[in-house]
Amino acid sequence: MKNAILTDIKMPFCPGCGHGVIVNSISKAFIELGYNPLDIIIVSDIGCSGLVDPLFATHTVHGLHGRAPALGLGVAMGLSNRNKKVIVIQGDGGATIGLQHLLEAARRNIDITLLVFNNLLYGMTGGQISGLSTDKFKELRQVEEGVPPFDIVRLAHQAGAVSSARVISPANFTESIKFAVETQGFTLLELASVCPSYGLQKIKELDDFSEEAEALLNYRKVNEVDYIETTSLLDKVEIIKGKFNAIVDERYGILLAGSAGGGIQLAAELLAKAGMLSGLYATMKGEYPVTVGTGFSIAEVILSRKPINYTGLDKPDVIFIMTEDGFVKANNLIKDDTMIIADDLLSITAKNIISKSFTKKVGKRSAVLSAISYWISQTNIISHDAFIEAIKPHKHAALLIKAIETPV
Amino acid sequence: METKSPNMVFTDASLLITEACVKAGADAFIGYPITPSNKFYSYGSKRFPLFLAGPDEITVLQWMAGLSAAGKFPVTATAFPGLALMAETFNMAYMMELPMLLIITQRLGPSTGSATTGAQGDLSFINGLISGGYPIPVFCPSNFEDAWKLTEESIRTAINLRTPVILLTSKEMVMTQKSFDISKLHEINKITNVNETIDLPYKTYKSGANYVPPFVAVGNEEHLVRLNSSTHDDDGMIQKNSPNALANTIRLKEKMEKRLNEYTFFEYDKQKDSKHLIVSYGISADASRDAVEEIRKNNHKISLLIVKTLLPVSEKITDIMDSYQQVIFVEENIGGQYKEIIYGKISRKNIKQVNKIGFMISPSDIIKAIAL
Repeated sequence: MKNAILTDIKMPFCPGCGHGVIVNSISKAFIELGYNPLDIIIVSDIGCSGLVDPLFATHTVHGLHGRAPALGLGVAMGLSNRNKKVIVIQGDGGATIGLQHLLEAARRNIDITLLVFNNLLYGMTGGQISGLSTDKFKELRQVEEGVPPFDIVRLAHQAGAVSSARVISPANFTESIKFAVETQGFTLLELASVCPSYGLQKIKELDDFSEEAEALLNYRKVNEVDYIETTSLLDKVEIIKGKFNAIVDERYGILLAGSAGGGIQLAAELLAKAGMLSGLYATMKGEYPVTVGTGFSIAEVILSRKPINYTGLDKPDVIFIMTEDGFVKANNLIKDDTMIIADDLLSITAKNIISKSFTKKVGKRSAVLSAISYWISQTNIISHDAFIEAIKPHKHAALLIKAIETPV
Repeated sequence: METKSPNMVFTDASLLITEACVKAGADAFIGYPITPSNKFYSYGSKRFPLFLAGPDEITVLQWMAGLSAAGKFPVTATAFPGLALMAETFNMAYMMELPMLLIITQRLGPSTGSATTGAQGDLSFINGLISGGYPIPVFCPSNFEDAWKLTEESIRTAINLRTPVILLTSKEMVMTQKSFDISKLHEINKITNVNETIDLPYKTYKSGANYVPPFVAVGNEEHLVRLNSSTHDDDGMIQKNSPNALANTIRLKEKMEKRLNEYTFFEYDKQKDSKHLIVSYGISADASRDAVEEIRKNNHKISLLIVKTLLPVSEKITDIMDSYQQVIFVEENIGGQYKEIIYGKISRKNIKQVNKIGFMISPSDIIKAIAL
């Protein structure tokens, strides 16, 4: 048959299995809607429902247990084409293990249809109950679990599915599938099935052991993804030209040690850029706890006349200690010949220490800039002009420059 | 007063890798935030034609597989905790033969370890990631130039071999900012497959002499495509263990190994008459470069091999190792993971190791350990 949705491969299911009824209903729905099989992508899961691939003459993608809604969503977002229909098929076991994917797909509301074949159990592994096994079925099987099943129709609805429904009577399958396929957005159908090997024997038993049929709608516009053109990140980076002098022979290591909110990372970046403006190579590394708004904040800067390979700072030439947090982190790196520039609010003793009123004079946010400025005035390692030039592009440049020009 | 170059910038490798991805033709970044891969997330959201925030790492890789099946090239960046969650789906994408790129930024483990401390501790896990021991192409940049070039080569390899590829980095490589001359970067153009000739009737997994089946996206109107994560034949039909399906499975190994020369990269700094070879990669490579310079200054002879395609291991690399009396492996982990892949766990007289955790290996650590 031209445009047949199904191949002529024999159904792989056990005799009497309810899944065959659903497969035939899917085929009928697409034929009645007039679809070309190559406009359909069936994405299947693991378990008995995952045996469907060879039956369909459509594109097929056979994935992992529970993950098919995420995989199908990916296919739909990749195609981004209204004329293509992604149909995801999974069982009640798959819906249980992959519930997060199901809810996320409902929330995203991309145009896919998820069909959950609910035969109330894991058929492929021996009939274990699933998260969708109903209380009545568990009673029949004498499973005393004491917890209710997930109502995925309501969960999907709550998560934003445009349409979610539970259909018990196979007579309603084809029309329900047609409605789900033709509705734009995420649609879910829980379709009742039987498992003669481990569960219900006959389709007519479904009425007694399933949850009630129901259909829920959300009035939401379908989401689509757009692939947009962007510009190169390299167009946005600042080109820095060396135009100042610096007194650095080979490699000079600087450690800035303070606390979160103390402008340490910004100061380190500006210092590194000032080094580059002085014709030097520079590296900068920040370190802070994962909770970035509190605790220590450390930054390492290396300035060098030669290109820098190894970026570790094992022995800093100068350490700026702005706070107690910073001192705790920097303490073990202080050697006899290390120059220490510290805030005079701290009581630190070290051999080569200079303490000044940075925080008192300019406030804690700019104290480290003030300290760097002081260090420049004492050592001329880089020039004051280079530091000013590095600060200029910053949005609060005027404020920062005022801080470094305040005498301490 | 000197001007080193008109194009010096202060940047990080996360930016260079992100930019190289998009230039090479990557379409989408699917992110789930994790330290120290967070800069990729931030740059990715600004640069990729499509950016999506996944709800968890399993979903991220599933979406990527779907996008790839539909003909798009997706990228993500994560660290070990995310990679661990992705292990199952990585196997799926590998089996389905879906091109994509995973950037792994290593941090100190085990488990959640220390999120803001660098490490080189995930190579053993990646080496055994595929059930059955099948090889994954793993590239490892040793500096900013590599970050640019190996990103391009990762995407080229993913497309040409129809496979997920890993770019293995570390916190110190992608978070550290450095002055860098961007005029050193070569132009990267959109990568297209070199070996795409389709024999009719199209079969999703039928390959020619080059071991790689031509890729056709699902949803196309000419050829029926069947992607399959389970053992399958040329048609993509599920099989238990038919000869065709097993041959197809073995081909997954063959395509990586027979075409290894296309994607083997390393840097070999050979010193004549040297009996000692330092082998390193990634964030330990720069310390090794500095150590070699220092050792030579002191009139000792030493050679250096920086490996950039870590897996699969090429004979070109083991041949170099075999030509030295002593090989010194420098890597920031406790066991020497790359050393173990090549020589096993047993210690040997001709093998030395420089290992460390929690801090970068320094040039002086290497010099001290070698003790020439």
